[in-house]
Amino acid sequence: MPKHIVRLIALLAGFGVLAAFAKWYFTVDTFYEYGHYRAASVTEIAAQEPVFQTPRYCEACHQERHAQWSAGNHKSVICEVCHGAAQGHPQNGKLPIPKDTARLCSLCHEEMPGRPRTQPQIDVAKHSGGQQCIVCHNPHAPKIGAAAARITGDASAGQKLAAACAGCHGAQGISPNDIWPSLAGQHAAYLARILGAYKSGAQKDVAMTPIAQPLSDADVRDLAAYYGSLSCKSAPGPAKVGDAAAGKDLAKNCSACHGETGIAGNPAWPSLAGQKGAYLQNALKAFRAGLRKDPLMAGVTRGLSDADIANLAAYYAVQSCALPTEGKKTP
Amino acid sequence: MKKTKTSLAARRAFLRKLGRAATITGAVVGAGTAGVMQQAAAKSESPSASFPTPEYDWTHHRWGYGVDATKCIGCLRCVEACKRENNVAGDAHHFRTWVERYVYLEGEERPHIDSHHDPVNIEASGSEKEYRFANRYKGKKVEKAFFVPKLCNHCAHPACVQVCPTGATYKTADGVVLIDHKYCIGCQYCVQACPYGARFFNEEHGHSDKCTWCYHRITKGLQPACVEVCPVGARVFGDLKDTNSPISLFIRNNRVQVLRPETGNAPNVYYVGIDKEVA
Amino acid sequence: MDALFHAAPYTGYVYPNETVIPWTVLIAVYPYLTGLVAGAFTVSSMYHVFGMERFKPVARFALLTSLCFMLFVPLPLLLHLGHPERALNPVLTPHWTSAMAAFGYFASFYVLLLILEAWFAFRPDIVEQAQKRQGLAGWIYRILTLGSYDVSEHAMRHDHKWLFALAAIGIPSAHGLHGYVGFIFGSLKSREWWSSDLMPVVFLFSAVISGVALLIVLYVVSCRLRKIAVDLACLKGMAYTLWGFAMFTIVLEGLEFASLVYKGREGIEVILEYVTGPLVIPFFVIQFAIGAVTPILVLSYLIWRGTTGRALIAGVTVSACLVLLSVWMMRWNVVIGGQEIAKTGKGLLTYHMLIFHREGLATALALTVAPLGVLFAMVRFLPPWADRVAPASQAH
Repeated sequence: MPKHIVRLIALLAGFGVLAAFAKWYFTVDTFYEYGHYRAASVTEIAAQEPVFQTPRYCEACHQERHAQWSAGNHKSVICEVCHGAAQGHPQNGKLPIPKDTARLCSLCHEEMPGRPRTQPQIDVAKHSGGQQCIVCHNPHAPKIGAAAARITGDASAGQKLAAACAGCHGAQGISPNDIWPSLAGQHAAYLARILGAYKSGAQKDVAMTPIAQPLSDADVRDLAAYYGSLSCKSAPGPAKVGDAAAGKDLAKNCSACHGETGIAGNPAWPSLAGQKGAYLQNALKAFRAGLRKDPLMAGVTRGLSDADIANLAAYYAVQSCALPTEGKKTP
Repeated sequence: MKKTKTSLAARRAFLRKLGRAATITGAVVGAGTAGVMQQAAAKSESPSASFPTPEYDWTHHRWGYGVDATKCIGCLRCVEACKRENNVAGDAHHFRTWVERYVYLEGEERPHIDSHHDPVNIEASGSEKEYRFANRYKGKKVEKAFFVPKLCNHCAHPACVQVCPTGATYKTADGVVLIDHKYCIGCQYCVQACPYGARFFNEEHGHSDKCTWCYHRITKGLQPACVEVCPVGARVFGDLKDTNSPISLFIRNNRVQVLRPETGNAPNVYYVGIDKEVA
Repeated sequence: MDALFHAAPYTGYVYPNETVIPWTVLIAVYPYLTGLVAGAFTVSSMYHVFGMERFKPVARFALLTSLCFMLFVPLPLLLHLGHPERALNPVLTPHWTSAMAAFGYFASFYVLLLILEAWFAFRPDIVEQAQKRQGLAGWIYRILTLGSYDVSEHAMRHDHKWLFALAAIGIPSAHGLHGYVGFIFGSLKSREWWSSDLMPVVFLFSAVISGVALLIVLYVVSCRLRKIAVDLACLKGMAYTLWGFAMFTIVLEGLEFASLVYKGREGIEVILEYVTGPLVIPFFVIQFAIGAVTPILVLSYLIWRGTTGRALIAGVTVSACLVLLSVWMMRWNVVIGGQEIAKTGKGLLTYHMLIFHREGLATALALTVAPLGVLFAMVRFLPPWADRVAPASQAH
């Protein structure tokens, strides 16, 4: 064979050996161990640190909050969804407490086509009138109050018991003065709840507590049924305590629960239309001071000034309690 | 004299033979030892120890994922959590998981489909880093609408693994398709090959990327971040080897289907409640 | 500073990850270059394997053309990679289920083959120059001789055997080098526009015509520059080759498109919307009408009328230019077009090509033109012309 061919073949063979060696030499460590990939890669990926820590991690320090949360409706929403991932907490400081809750909560709760009907959804503008969600809702236990229960009470038995109440609340359930509340036509479910609260001590009132305590549960229901069946006398009294027009503006924030004109849509909440002005004023102040216990009302009254309270009371006092379908009581 | 000469020659010959025998034996023994030592060394690194971590043996698990599209509310906490957990680029064009919205308006046959890269939704969320569906069908007559979460299907016959020229993407023994960020050359062939659009390119680091079912979490007994944060249980995860795991129950108790079965990729994400238009 | 990525505008519904188009114009340049390589080599093989004498004037020139373009083939890929420094990974640990893993080996093998074949083809010239030239050039020639100045009958017989063998192996290698690119696209299940069994064949045949067309243009230009007459028999031979392969190519491309439309799989409406919309000009007008049908008609006419002389040269050259355009558009319409049709089958995207960017138009043009520069230099170094009479006697 000619010299140049021999040399060429030698050159090619040498190149081949070099290439094979280079391939063996430069192939990275751990490749081919478990398959056609670098085994160390699996270990590296598995070794990365998790960012979200899960509620179990939060529970270690925040037991009370965790307990409240895990008993409520938001137990499927982990802490870190709203507060951010807990990696590096508490070493790196506090986790943020969301401020614009209307924006945050509407991510899940804005009424939107495509959301299953089982998801609680609201029309944001209509529901809260632009208020922050946490004004009414505790984000860790968001469901508000007891559901409206059917009050099955005997109105005629209640009438007999009500004789003892007429001294303050009036013979027909219409209060003789501005201080004590009228009860006629009030939602029976609400009456049962508040009377029951006085009875159990959940609410304390100098006058009501000793009166409510001896009552039986059946008595409570009967009284509630009786007063709920009475007519509230549509014609309201004059505004005495404040500026009803100013109160009307403020009352927009209350309409979600108490109705636009003070007629509550949910029987669990009291109607305010035509209620005594001074009573409303005192009640709001008591809620604001925490003397009358209600976390929801405490929240909504926190930002109210005395003047606001007076105006609100005045507004509701002059509202007519007449329902469009007068006489039909929904239990 | 002759005797001495003969015995000397004989001795030399014998010694020569002995020397040769010794050399050969030595060589054989030496080679044999080297071979045995190498084998022993290989054995000590061989797959008898727990892999990939001492606490987690991948031969004991086979992971699976489920999506209940009847439950999804489109809140997109999963999308944000995934980005946070896995340090994914904070823009509207790179997602390891995303949610699609399908809306059929009255009188129309084809649905309107949108997701987080839609400018209307980007405007509603205020930035490309936060995700929210705009309430764009508010006043309209909607006949049917639903949300479909999407993510990598971790197929049993992944097209992406098939086309990777280097072996940078692979399927683990516990059924997860992973990417070796240190080995990937960034050719993006895998991005092309995935029929589901689950893969993307990380321009900052020059490699391809995708959902890993939060491998770093599941190997520690945690759930993937998206499953953890879903408030309505639309995402389900678990060990298919465990007949009572959430995913096993999900598959057993529901009529499940997969996306694009005709590709033959055999996905491992099982859907309940999707629709004819979802692919 | 450039944004890291550019989000493509879209209509309809596309997957969120699709808005960043993965493969740019450089990925269309790459098969264009390998196509020119394969095509030029085919012309060279007409002489070196099939012994067709009429191709002798361009045979060695075709070899050099193939080699020069081959040198630039890895560049568009390297410029596209996220980690070009890891470019050897597919060679070190090739994942053989991937057609792309074949690239490293196909390309290395083929460039080696081209170098070897060029060496054998030019050995007599190298030996001659090694003995004549001084300085650096002389050194290079001498190294290339591998220390042997044997150009005897015996040696030349060996050389010719090698040349033949290399060229023969080279044909399937070249077709493998370019055909696998078609397979890269055709084997995917994710894009209806790409997924076709015909794709490798279409790529291959369009590659051959692009190479032949390139050679026609370069040969005519080189004759003009050297001020010698074009060998009409050679030109006609290349024209026939171009004509024949072009007809077959247009049939294949038409068949592929017709098959896609006829089968009408899911997503076909969006494909048709695309083809009858944004793709009308690039596809029907430029690729087919101007770039394929017109040259076939022109060449048919020239052949039918037995045209010769300057008219023939002009007609064939123009046809060749149109074919070059058509094949480029075919690469573009496949690579970019395929990505503009969303995987959802429900949307379309628009690719915006950047100009001065690592993966932009300027780079694409540079990569396509640069091999010509290298070819120009190489032709000086290894003159390939069969008419190896000194240019002086051929002047005017």
